Amino acid sequence: MIIADNLCKQFERTVLSEEKKGLGKKGKKTGKKETFYAVDHVSFQVPQGEILGILGPNGAGKTTLLRMLGSLMEPTEGTVSIENREGKVLTDPVDLKKSIGYLSGNTKLYHRMSPREMLYMLAEIYGIEKAEAEKRIAEISNVLDMESFLDNRIEKLSTGQTQRASIARCLIHDPDIYIFDEPTLGLDILSADAIVNFMKSQKERGKTVLYSTHYLEEAQFLCDRILMIYQGKIVKEGSPKAILEECNTENLRDAFHYVMEEVEKA
Amino acid sequence: MNVKRMGALFKREIRDIFRDKKTMIMMVLLPLVLYPLLIVGMALLSTAIMQSQEEKTYLVAFEDCAELETAMADILEDMPEEIGYTVKVVSEDSCREALEAETIDAYVTMDGKEITIHYLSAKDNSSTASYALDEAFDIYRSSLTKQQIEDAGLDAEMILHPVQIAENDLSSAEESVGSMLGTMMPFFIITMILLGAIYPAIDVTAGEKERGTLETLLTLPVTNFEMIMSKFLAVSVIAGVSALLNVISMCGAMAFLVSSSMASAADMNIVIDYTKFIPGILITILVMMVFALFVTAVCMCTCVFAKNFKDANNYATPVMFVFMFASYAPMLPDVELTAQTAAIPVVNVALLVAGLFEFNYNYALFGIVLVSNVAYSLLAIMVLGRIYNSESVLFSEGFSGVKLFDKRSDMKEKQIPGVGDCVLLMCIVLLLMLYGGTYAQLKLGFGGVAVQQAFILICPLVYAWYMKADFKKVFSIKPPHIKGVLGGICLALAGFMLALVAGALLTPVFPQSAESLKAMDEMIKGQPAWVLFLVMAAMPAIGEEFLFRGFLMGTLREKCKPWVAIVATTLIFAAYHMSLLKMFTISIIGLGLTVAAYMTGSIFVSMLMHFINNSVSVLITLYPEQVGKLFPVLMEESPGSAQIAVVTLVGVVLAVVGWVLVKGKKAV
Repeated sequence: MIIADNLCKQFERTVLSEEKKGLGKKGKKTGKKETFYAVDHVSFQVPQGEILGILGPNGAGKTTLLRMLGSLMEPTEGTVSIENREGKVLTDPVDLKKSIGYLSGNTKLYHRMSPREMLYMLAEIYGIEKAEAEKRIAEISNVLDMESFLDNRIEKLSTGQTQRASIARCLIHDPDIYIFDEPTLGLDILSADAIVNFMKSQKERGKTVLYSTHYLEEAQFLCDRILMIYQGKIVKEGSPKAILEECNTENLRDAFHYVMEEVEKA
Repeated sequence: MNVKRMGALFKREIRDIFRDKKTMIMMVLLPLVLYPLLIVGMALLSTAIMQSQEEKTYLVAFEDCAELETAMADILEDMPEEIGYTVKVVSEDSCREALEAETIDAYVTMDGKEITIHYLSAKDNSSTASYALDEAFDIYRSSLTKQQIEDAGLDAEMILHPVQIAENDLSSAEESVGSMLGTMMPFFIITMILLGAIYPAIDVTAGEKERGTLETLLTLPVTNFEMIMSKFLAVSVIAGVSALLNVISMCGAMAFLVSSSMASAADMNIVIDYTKFIPGILITILVMMVFALFVTAVCMCTCVFAKNFKDANNYATPVMFVFMFASYAPMLPDVELTAQTAAIPVVNVALLVAGLFEFNYNYALFGIVLVSNVAYSLLAIMVLGRIYNSESVLFSEGFSGVKLFDKRSDMKEKQIPGVGDCVLLMCIVLLLMLYGGTYAQLKLGFGGVAVQQAFILICPLVYAWYMKADFKKVFSIKPPHIKGVLGGICLALAGFMLALVAGALLTPVFPQSAESLKAMDEMIKGQPAWVLFLVMAAMPAIGEEFLFRGFLMGTLREKCKPWVAIVATTLIFAAYHMSLLKMFTISIIGLGLTVAAYMTGSIFVSMLMHFINNSVSVLITLYPEQVGKLFPVLMEESPGSAQIAVVTLVGVVLAVVGWVLVKGKKAV
């Protein structure tokens, strides 16, 4: 189970304002720095075996939220913790990362290595014994059908092959929790389906999946629960079914529009 | 820090760099192939050109001056051997047209006494011909002069050469070669380390961002420190190796050049004993390794801000210029390695290497160069760590979010500093001492020593205040127990005695530089006794104790095992005195101080010990005769083995008694 408790992330942004002093000198615009919450006091829990979908418009704070959950970023306030299968609560970033498989559009692979070399290197970093690593690499490449290109340099792989290698990267340490940031973005139907199926299969294995997406249809049938966020705050939370009922719509797309309009009004 | 994880990352970085074509070309191909090819090729080319000139015959003509022509034809006929090429006289109807058409290479006209050589400076052949004519006319003119002097009935030889001048170079062949190498090598070495470091540095920072693998790296269970250190070490190794390769390849090419030019000038009987350069080369390699760390850290600090390779190249260019400019230092007149220049980054390495090849071995200055380079490297690594810790650099590609220093208002109350704080503080104090302290000593003389001591005291206090440290805990501020004080006194005396023995045994191995002792003596001379006790005994006792037994030991005590804390404090304390001989003796004294402070938990014990130790030294300086009468051992230039044995025995006994006393206090 992963627990987000009161998570906040503050960023600085430059706001253009016409200052009184500046106006005298040809009305020069001066930038003023202000801080804002990219993620604004967000708390939730995702139990084992659940797929949580995070929806929201661009700039809503999805990526920042997922980065904090994956310990890539340090929260300004609040904590992330993981309760593992043995019931132990982990809070140290290094320990958290060992239980998480994180995948996003920005997690590219090392071009100058082969998938096999990369997986060995990762196994070493995750502290997996060599014999065990060998076994796991064989298993993973079998499941993901990677044998044919396991020893080619990653820069030479096709998009689909690279995507499979990326999934292999998240699998090597057999994490309890997967965090995927728009994993199907820009993929063709086959590759996208492969990822969706992967998430489903992991759920069946009792793993937790958190993922953000813009594909609402995909989220509607895949997720057990959905968080809609806007300007860093959770604006709607519940199972797809409950959300549809609440918004009185037939599909998630309409529900999303409805929620956003409500928020804008408020 | 997990060594295994760091090792895995380090291996990956090295492999990645080795698989990068750009780096490999810069690192291996350039030094191993291009430089030798260039140097040897140039040599071969110039020999070929010279040979082709030798075989060539240059045509010259004389216009309307038959008498001159006959005289010159004879001279030119005899010329070839001396000047190296053949010049033939031909007759032309219109010399000017012939020259313009390049059928002849030069011609001569004569108007009364004025002889003019007409040639085309833009044509190589014509220039050479005019040069040959010039030489021939010199011979012609002297023969005329000689003739006229003899006609006047005088001794031509006496008048033309009243004295003979000969040169006798007393420099050995090694010194001449060394001085030549000394001006070139620093520039080459620094440039090569820089070139070796810059591309891998860009690759592991901006390159990683550009390829989009940085976020992948951040998902791995490694700390920022492990990440940065593995990158840093990988780049340093590459920079060091590439510098080595470059130096080897360059030396090889030079050796080829020298030996081939010697073969051609067989009559120049020069024998160079290359083994004389070995110590210099070894020290150069040591310095290069440390310097590679510094260069790497600087390059990485610069490149980490860049979004991509191109950007990083732009950032790196000014750094390259600064380094290369600084490496010219040895070529400037009157710039030498001194206590002041030894602390200036880059310049110190350039001057040190230049000096080594000129056989200037000043170990005290080497120490400063090495220690200051280590300090600069550590500072640069810490800055790098801070930059890499900042998410704005990692994610949003900007400068603005980098916070090198936390605001004091953000600090928690009652903090215990970390090992990083110690490193930073030590570097700050060291550099302040090197720059500020040396400057103060130059300006104020003896007062400068007091200023230096003040730095040592103020730095840890200000640092601790800024970070809101727990003063009582960090600086061990606690009244001592009487047993602890007694034990401390015993340990202080034991330390002094054993250090004396070590000093006596080691002096033959590491001769103290007489110069530095003399300078110290002169500074002390004429100072009243109370000033000496204040500046030389009381101030160090307070300042150095606050820094070493206070801040340093107080921090390490919390973070490390006891023996690590004690040994590290002792060694850093000794290293701070920057002298090979003192390194050993001060380690002994420092060990006593550290153990006493650690066991009693009171800084006042070690302050008292430090004061006792320094006071004894001051006493010896002030009243050498009286002290000599009371304790003849102290004043002995070279004590006998019996004296050494006695002093050692008393020292050891005192040390054991002291240890039992300070330890006993702890047990209570």
